Amino acid sequence: MSPVFSHGRLRLYLLKLLEESPRHGYEVIRLLEDRFMGLYAPSPGTIYPRLQRLEAEGLVTQTKEGGRKVYQITDAGRAELAERHDELDELEAEIAGSVHGLAREIRDEVRGTVRDLKQELKQAAREIRREQRHENRSRRDQGGDQRWDWYDQSVDGRLWYFLDRTQKAIRRAQLTEAQVRECAAILDEAFQRIGQVLKESPDTEERSR
Amino acid sequence: MASWTLDEPGKRELDPVDRVLVRLIEGAVSVVGSDGPPTLEVSELEGAPLRVRQEDGALTVDYERPGRLGLLAWLTSMGRRKAVVTLAVPRDCRVELQVVSASLMAGGLRASVLAKTVSGEITLAGLGGAAEAETVSGAVQASAIRGDLSAATVSGEITVAEGGGSVRAKTISGTIAMDLGPSGDRDIELSSVSGDLTVRVPEASDLEVKLQSTSGQVASAFGQLEHDRTPGQHAARGRLGSGTGRLRASSTSGHVALLRRAPEVL
Repeated sequence: MSPVFSHGRLRLYLLKLLEESPRHGYEVIRLLEDRFMGLYAPSPGTIYPRLQRLEAEGLVTQTKEGGRKVYQITDAGRAELAERHDELDELEAEIAGSVHGLAREIRDEVRGTVRDLKQELKQAAREIRREQRHENRSRRDQGGDQRWDWYDQSVDGRLWYFLDRTQKAIRRAQLTEAQVRECAAILDEAFQRIGQVLKESPDTEERSR
Repeated sequence: MASWTLDEPGKRELDPVDRVLVRLIEGAVSVVGSDGPPTLEVSELEGAPLRVRQEDGALTVDYERPGRLGLLAWLTSMGRRKAVVTLAVPRDCRVELQVVSASLMAGGLRASVLAKTVSGEITLAGLGGAAEAETVSGAVQASAIRGDLSAATVSGEITVAEGGGSVRAKTISGTIAMDLGPSGDRDIELSSVSGDLTVRVPEASDLEVKLQSTSGQVASAFGQLEHDRTPGQHAARGRLGSGTGRLRASSTSGHVALLRRAPEVL
């Protein structure tokens, strides 16, 4: 059973183009643009993966000719095309017959392209986020880097970070008296409030200030 | 002014147009550029007849508003109003589409396109001029846009494959995913409140980059960017190549990711 493609129709058409003659990738794109009446030309970024998929399925092969890739249909590809010939004829009729059919084709094509792209980008983004978190964690564990992992939820981590950053900043800055008072007030409040939270913990002894 | 009513599906050739305005409710509206004569095709029509008017190159397709009924009475009195309409117009024709829940599509045009819907999906393909897409909950999907693109949604996803000009995409909770071509001198600005922003650019890009998120994670596949992490926000800044273009992506709680695309070999 063939895998489900989001744009099965274009796939059929690609096979048809290659059945007519082996072609370079750029040629395929130009012919597709003709098919969409010059309205829309799918980019190499969308065609190349599709040709690759057809190759993975054994319907198409590629060879190198004069430094460029040439795509050719295989017997399996020809068989698939023969089997779905009616579907292809229907497609052609739809486009040729009405502007509605053409518009729908283009819309479906873009939908499919966009769906694949979203998936691809989502996956890639997840991966680099994961890598980055991993990198940060291992750097911190090694103790070599002074940077705090943003995702470290511990109070201890925060305290360390807070002290580190704030001390540096205060030493660099030249605070007015009013600013000094304000900062001191904030710190006092934080101290008091955390003290309250800790009081609620069964293990804490009485605090004295 | 030429004006007529369409009360059943059909196809009709039009007088020369250089501007199209469509205001419908539900169904689908598609406008494609064509070298042939301008045509209007109605494939489905339910509820109320369409009014088509042409004057001085301006074509308007909408519903008749009976004078005596108030707006609310009119909207509730007619039940469902659905139309599936396709227009073939000259490539230099300006297009403006405003609907409620219909899906919109515009392709193969060189002049400005404005597509507005509340919940319908917007598809833009192969456009050379400035394109503007606005929806509340529908999705915006665009491919091969050579002109400047502006997309705004509340919760709809925005996805752009192959953006060529400047891009401005804003959403509240939708996600933005973009795959852009070589940069040149242009501005890319993405923003969201809670949706994730993901943009991929070619390895050899020339962009001044600024990425930031208040509580989400900022990740980049380009090592040249400097990360700045504070409890208040996470930002990454830097320059790729000669920095002639500008890329800014910022979110409040969504993740921001800049990916790198290796050159293709067809």
